[in-house]
Amino acid sequence: MTLISPAKTVCVIDDDKIYIYGLKKLISIKQLSPNLMEFYNGKEAIDFLTDPENLNSLPDIIFLDINMPVMDGWGFMESFVKIKPQLGKKITIYMVSSSINDDDIERAKSISDITDYVIKPISPDTLVELFRLAA
Amino acid sequence: MSENKDTSLGMFPIGLQALNEHYFANKQLHYLIESTNTGLWERNIETQEAWWSPKFCELLGYEYGEIAPSYIYFLEEIVYPDDRAIVFGSFQDHIKNRTPHKVEFRMLTKQGNYKWFETSGKAWPNEHGKLTRMIGAVTDIDQKKRTELRLKKDEFFLNETHKIANIGGWELDVVNMELTWSKEVFDIHELPLDSKPDLDTAINYYEPGYRDTISAAVSDAIKYCKPYDLEVKFRTAKNNVIWVRTKGVPVINTDGECIILRGIFQNINQLKLKELDLQQSLDLLSDHNKRLQNFAHIVSHNLRSHSGNLQFMVNIFDQNISAPEKEEVFGNIRSISESLATTIDHLNEIVKIQTDISKELKPVDFESIFKNIQSALDNNIHKTKAIICYDFSSCPTINYVPAYLESIFLNLLTNSLKYRHPDRDPKIICKSYFDKEHTWLTFEDNGLGIDLDKYKDKVFGMYKTFHQNVNAKGIGLFITRNQIESLGGSIHIESTVNVGTKFTIKLV
Repeated sequence: MTLISPAKTVCVIDDDKIYIYGLKKLISIKQLSPNLMEFYNGKEAIDFLTDPENLNSLPDIIFLDINMPVMDGWGFMESFVKIKPQLGKKITIYMVSSSINDDDIERAKSISDITDYVIKPISPDTLVELFRLAA
Repeated sequence: MSENKDTSLGMFPIGLQALNEHYFANKQLHYLIESTNTGLWERNIETQEAWWSPKFCELLGYEYGEIAPSYIYFLEEIVYPDDRAIVFGSFQDHIKNRTPHKVEFRMLTKQGNYKWFETSGKAWPNEHGKLTRMIGAVTDIDQKKRTELRLKKDEFFLNETHKIANIGGWELDVVNMELTWSKEVFDIHELPLDSKPDLDTAINYYEPGYRDTISAAVSDAIKYCKPYDLEVKFRTAKNNVIWVRTKGVPVINTDGECIILRGIFQNINQLKLKELDLQQSLDLLSDHNKRLQNFAHIVSHNLRSHSGNLQFMVNIFDQNISAPEKEEVFGNIRSISESLATTIDHLNEIVKIQTDISKELKPVDFESIFKNIQSALDNNIHKTKAIICYDFSSCPTINYVPAYLESIFLNLLTNSLKYRHPDRDPKIICKSYFDKEHTWLTFEDNGLGIDLDKYKDKVFGMYKTFHQNVNAKGIGLFITRNQIESLGGSIHIESTVNVGTKFTIKLV
């Protein structure tokens, strides 16, 4: 088992509770991070990121879903690009979706702030690899 | 016989041989007549004896004297059988009624072919005042007649072709703005041949929506020498609406000006209707195809998210986890299996809409169905203090699948209640009306509204939810749209955030 800088803060933005449960479990089994924040749509996450009080607890990695109510993954990215300069921290964003639609994949690739596009489900090995790449 | 009586052919009081003798006696007259290509003849009305002049014989290829001197022989052997009645009839009429004897008919030549001649003649009385003789002349009109007949045949042929093709020709003299039509153009207009067309009234036969197009095309053709070819809707003088093709080509003078606009005018109604029909089928088919593709996408996406989660849980199960954790994972697997079943139920419902061929249309009453749904949602309505108004008076019934109308009302009402504005009581207005062709339904609320700039293409998608609402499933509007479209209708949404939403539905 590879342990990679376990102090990373992870954020998951997804409306699928089972997926969040699984991700949380896998991260804890692989001892990848002790801190996991969860948001059920893009807007909740943006609200958190823009709140100055949270400036010290910003995440290192974001796992972002596409299809969510209120604000979807694309909407989140639009807002994220705007607030990025104020954050003063490098955040690695992985888009994680069950969509195998080429349009979605291409669109994600065209956004430079998205490091990679991962098709659900994330296997334990992939998850470890994503953490390693974000280090 | 005096000399001047001899020169005047009209004054022969004597027997049959007289013309013969006088003819040759007066050389001047003889040569003059022979040089005109005119043959002379004489007939004794009583004895049926006849005389044929040398030219007459020559015109038929005979030597003088070769043709038997008998009127009966002439009628039976020389005159074309079909023309005998006309020739004989004309003689009789002339003698009985004094009508002028002038006939175009065919005669057999010595070579054995028939040629066209024109003959005219006059009956003369004897000294007792009785009509005893007829004297006349024939001229060869074969060339002229054949050309005339060919022209007539060509014209007939052209007319028939035009009639069969439903096509006519027209010409506009740009200088005097004079319009000329061929017969078929009048026929297509269902106007009598003697009506006088002019440009303005001609344009008024086109259906209102096409008049500007035609006017512009004609004016461009005249001004810029630009030809046109249009397929447009047209209303005949007898009020029949048809599709016509009108094509105009400018005739340009040496100065480059259009002096005449010439064109064709064709009734293409049958063809056009078939074309439109085909186009409609094509649209329907591509519509169907699009929905099918969309459905395939939905199936793959929605099933994928469940299968992904299932795989995810199994992967975790395989890790070294404690017994209580295994319990937890299994609990998740159970809920995945439940949502999978729900999704499949939803997909089934959609497949049913798409493939339900036995969709039976029945006359349904808007009000009674609306009331049924209202009472089904009574609890909800009461709790939310919703005010619901409806007006189906201008179109109380419709031929529709009753279950679909129920489902449409249920989904729209549920949506309006679910997405009500927190600051005010919900107010919902539902109306039906009928325009020329379609039955419409409008459904309006004062709820949360939805940002259509962001979500326009997603509103009617499957599992698309836009508000943070635990009850949101994102299936209602998707099914509503599918039901409406499967019966050939459409649904349109207008919405303003914090003001409300209005659905306009074309039912049929």
